[in-house]
Amino acid sequence: MTPITRKHLSRRTVLRGVGAAVALPMLDAMTPAFAAPGSSRKPVRLSFTYVPNGVTQVDWTPAATGADFEFTRILKPLEPFRDDLFVLSGLAAKNAYALGDGPGDHARAGACFLTGVHPRKTAGADIQAAVSADQIAAQALASETRYASIELGCEESRTVGNCDSGYSCAYTNSIAWRTPTTPMPPEINPRMAFERLFGAGEVDLDPETRARRVLYRKSILDLVSDRTRTLLGGLGPTDRRKVDEYLYGVREIEKRIERAEKDGGDVTPTIEKPSGIPAVFGDYVKLMFDLQAVALQADLTRVVTMMVGREGSLQTYSEIGIPDPHHPLTHHRNNPEWIEKVTRINTFHTELFAYFVSRLKATPDGDGTLLDHSMLVYGSAIGDGNRHTHEDLPVLLLGRGGDLKPGRHLVYPSETPITNLYLTLLDKMGVRPESIGDSTGRVEHLSEV
Amino acid sequence: MRSLLILFPLIGLAGAGLASESPDSTAFESTVKPFLSRTCFTCHSSRLKTGNLDLEAYPTPASVAQDVPTWEKVIAKLRRHDMPPVGLPRPDEAEIKAVTEWIEAELEQADLQAAPDPGRVTARRLNRTEYNNTVRDLLGVDIRPADDFPQDDSGYGFDNNGDVLSLSPVLMEKYLAAAEKIARTALFGAGPLKPSLHRLPSRGGKVQPSPTVPTEYDLTGLSLPNALHTTFRFPVEGEYLLRVILGGFRPLGSEPIQVAVWIDGAQVRVLDLDPVGGAAFELDRQELLGKQPEFRTRVTAGEHTLAASILHLFDGLPESYAGPNPSKRPPPPPPEFRPPKDATPERIEKARLAFEANLAETKAANEARVSRLEIVGPYDPVHAPTEASLRKVYACGHLHGGHGSGCARRVVTALAHRAFRRPVTSAEVEPFLGLVSAARRQGDSFEEGIALALQAILVSPDFLFRIERDRAVAGADPGYRVGEHELASRLSYFLWASMPDDELLRAADRKSLRKPEVLAAQVRRMLKDEKASALAVAFGGQWLQFRALESATPDRDRYPDFDNNLRLSMRHETELFFENVVREDRSILDFIDGKYSFLNDRLARHYGIPGIKGPEFRRVDLAGTHRSGILTQGSVLTVSSYATRTSPVLRGKWILENVLNAPPADPPAGTPRLDEATVGASASLRQQMEAHRTNPTCAACHAKMDPLGFGLENYDAIGAWRTTDAKFPVDASGVLPDGRSFQGPDDLKVILRADHGAFAECITEKLLTYALGRGLERYDKRTVKAITGRLAERDYRFSALVVEIVSSLPFQMRRAERVKS
Repeated sequence: MTPITRKHLSRRTVLRGVGAAVALPMLDAMTPAFAAPGSSRKPVRLSFTYVPNGVTQVDWTPAATGADFEFTRILKPLEPFRDDLFVLSGLAAKNAYALGDGPGDHARAGACFLTGVHPRKTAGADIQAAVSADQIAAQALASETRYASIELGCEESRTVGNCDSGYSCAYTNSIAWRTPTTPMPPEINPRMAFERLFGAGEVDLDPETRARRVLYRKSILDLVSDRTRTLLGGLGPTDRRKVDEYLYGVREIEKRIERAEKDGGDVTPTIEKPSGIPAVFGDYVKLMFDLQAVALQADLTRVVTMMVGREGSLQTYSEIGIPDPHHPLTHHRNNPEWIEKVTRINTFHTELFAYFVSRLKATPDGDGTLLDHSMLVYGSAIGDGNRHTHEDLPVLLLGRGGDLKPGRHLVYPSETPITNLYLTLLDKMGVRPESIGDSTGRVEHLSEV
Repeated sequence: MRSLLILFPLIGLAGAGLASESPDSTAFESTVKPFLSRTCFTCHSSRLKTGNLDLEAYPTPASVAQDVPTWEKVIAKLRRHDMPPVGLPRPDEAEIKAVTEWIEAELEQADLQAAPDPGRVTARRLNRTEYNNTVRDLLGVDIRPADDFPQDDSGYGFDNNGDVLSLSPVLMEKYLAAAEKIARTALFGAGPLKPSLHRLPSRGGKVQPSPTVPTEYDLTGLSLPNALHTTFRFPVEGEYLLRVILGGFRPLGSEPIQVAVWIDGAQVRVLDLDPVGGAAFELDRQELLGKQPEFRTRVTAGEHTLAASILHLFDGLPESYAGPNPSKRPPPPPPEFRPPKDATPERIEKARLAFEANLAETKAANEARVSRLEIVGPYDPVHAPTEASLRKVYACGHLHGGHGSGCARRVVTALAHRAFRRPVTSAEVEPFLGLVSAARRQGDSFEEGIALALQAILVSPDFLFRIERDRAVAGADPGYRVGEHELASRLSYFLWASMPDDELLRAADRKSLRKPEVLAAQVRRMLKDEKASALAVAFGGQWLQFRALESATPDRDRYPDFDNNLRLSMRHETELFFENVVREDRSILDFIDGKYSFLNDRLARHYGIPGIKGPEFRRVDLAGTHRSGILTQGSVLTVSSYATRTSPVLRGKWILENVLNAPPADPPAGTPRLDEATVGASASLRQQMEAHRTNPTCAACHAKMDPLGFGLENYDAIGAWRTTDAKFPVDASGVLPDGRSFQGPDDLKVILRADHGAFAECITEKLLTYALGRGLERYDKRTVKAITGRLAERDYRFSALVVEIVSSLPFQMRRAERVKS
């Protein structure tokens, strides 16, 4: 009889040996034996999803508070996850208001969402915000995962000039800030994001074909190694050095294949490698959500931010029949046709987010699902896009990581800083900063009914 | 054994006239030493050793002969009047002549006694351009996988230098992946590609909004800053969706606009767009922001130039603009004033006044523009392999299956022969055949087996490297002659940046390539082939540095006109010019002052040359203009400037390095920077650079550099002609250290043309460096001198230069490394 031990393989041990290669799901050997329920803490994942230009508030905020609220039109796609979500009302990002700086609400909103500060108004190189909540968490947890954090986006950054009434494009390009002066621009190409996470080599889904390809590759490498050794005999010393570089490269690849085979886990990431940016926007967003899900599943990181659009986004949504660019639509001046279109765009966004939530819910993670061990924030730093307000922000919180007890519509006192929410969430991850931006304390009722 | 004299005509001919006598050591004592003592020891003594040079340390002629590099520099500096520096007494011209001639004779004596040396090119891997071209020519696959490889390092100005090109494990990984993709594409067609989105920004010029309608303007819109010009590499033939994203505004009441899309200069579609009715920020104008007309069309694989423009930009405006074809739409009702909420009566009144002022303003007529192009695709891509690829692979003749028992060997042998660029033995082919069998054992098809063997061939060192096997050196030869196939490779990678074609390989197989008449005939054939455009792009792009145009970012405020159209046109002009010199076998001196070029309307407008219409490039006679040769082409003028202003120093340095073969030394440490803020404000650029001339240490180099650069001051930082710079008139005159003066760029060209010997040497050195793939050493000097001498006899024709290089000692031979046999 095999003795049961408390030892278990840490996931990182296995990953470390595979060079720049593949991710692994949780292997049985990794679940500690005799784990007392709730005693070993699963890592908590933190994810922020940003949607730009605010929402049609009347179609967002549920009428009732507490547990039995009715899902409004924009929130309807998330109804299947009633028990896993909070709708949080009353939060604000006051530092996104002008406060004497004149126009530029979109740049300020983007910069303020995760930092809680009023960004410096400049189109030049002297940009300044503050370290964002996600980065505070990332830096605290940096030693635990291969990547401290991952930033993804679905709209390309602009690199030149000013993007909103005298504010540098840096403010709208990113919501994550590593330092007060260093924004973290998101990766918008799914192929690049995939390659960064899983390496640039070719990956195939069908295990039989994959095995054959590995076999062929080894045969080719054997062949050329032999050839090269014969070749080296007839070369002078300087030539030999050049060809040696070639042999070294061949040997490196052979070693990597050996290592991967020995680890027994020649497992592939559960999605195909993307070839580029998908043609249809909905597919593009879902692909980026897939990449997040896979990165969290393999514990490559615990902190992810995703920008469905940049603040001031001009994205068109022809696949749902809206060829107009988003931002001008939100300045509807009460034109009912335009308001309707904005609502449809907001609903489309929550539909796509529901896809992400369903993926996490369907992914086993230890003794639960990935959703059970995550805290997902979804929202915008603009409330009403027509009037550029920064209170009554649309904010959702999903998951049960950190002992959250969701399933309710909570209404906080008007103008509660959204940074109070972040402070609370970071506490639950074991990261305890004194304050974040304009935070005044923590928010209540998230972990007790 | 063929006599070596045919290959070494240079020995004994160098150093016109003086080589046969050994110089008198009395001349050394009576003329040279006193001269040095009077003129040079002030600084270059054993005690002071200024510039690390101690001229007192050479007591005898023999000691001079032993230190050729130093004394070469002494001759050069004396001749160029760089030494003694300005400010110290100048010796007599006759004296300088006598002394330098003596030294030269001494050095040549040393050279003659030294053994001729062909040098030794290190084994080098194919660089990115060569890899792409070789794969294209070997298999008919033009997917350019090397565009994803890491950048190649350059040495001596070129990225095909053997010593510098390295092979990292990352690159090895990419070779493996690329080999698989190439092999599969050749045999089975492009892999399945899902449609993906590519965004191409405009990088356009600034549109200067204006309410007036011009009497004449480009109706196609292509040469206006409102248009977009770009290039895109379509991965495979198929259907693509092209989406034009617009920006800007049109006045209220205008008619719809028409957007034209052009591929490779031909109009493929016109799209109508009516800005009225969609979402918009502004109410006082028609807004085009974010509107995206689109269409689908079939496009072939490869790189294509794309453009999108607004046709008849000034048509359809409201009648008040008095433009052509005014709008027939009824003018829309003017927008209503909406007072701001919760505001004081004063604020409301202020807002109302601003609103009315805005309403009264005549809006710009020309602000409609193209912001971006998006390409989605491929849809319905071509799946099958091309006939051309199949023909290149299946040497057995069975393009579509039905292979017999000998086919595998025939196919693999032929592939290896062409890929390794030499005959292969059956022992060498066996392991590759082994792969074909291995695949069949796994249950894969014959074609899959061939693909596997091909993959292995493409990562073999024999393919990736150009390896030259050491051979036995006969007797006292300085090196061995490279093999016929190695010579064929050298030739094809020199002129085509690609593998030898079948005809060249056959000549090598028959061992006839080395015959001078065969070699010359092949050179002429290869220069006429369209693959010789690689010379313009790869050699020309690096010698003239117009590769740097891609990353040039002229300041948008100072040069709002600089758009991608101009950038692409500039590069095309210089490429066409170079290609023309090659194709029509013109004199290389055309590079200095050839009075013609190749322009389209955009470039002609930029240069101020009237009467050129249309986006196609055509040959233009430049008589009567201030332009000729390459020095006054936009590409050269732009890459030798800063983003905000011209730099006479950069341009002077450019000329010295790339035309006069006299690269200046690096500036001494601690040189202060030019105060950019005051340039053009309180003193002209010329005045501010006076410090270069007054300080003798600076003057040593700047006395030559600055005047050359100032001679081009009439061309601004993007090459347009000007007569004033900020508030100062341009002074393009100058005096060179040897006393020659010029009044402007045309005079300067005359002087440069007179120095054509230096130019010939310059281009010979650069082309030889490129051809050999190694930096030139001192022992190559005789080769260069001999080649330039013979060039003069042949009217400096380009083909003559190529034939000379290809017949030269370093090209035909290689120094052996002492290897234990």
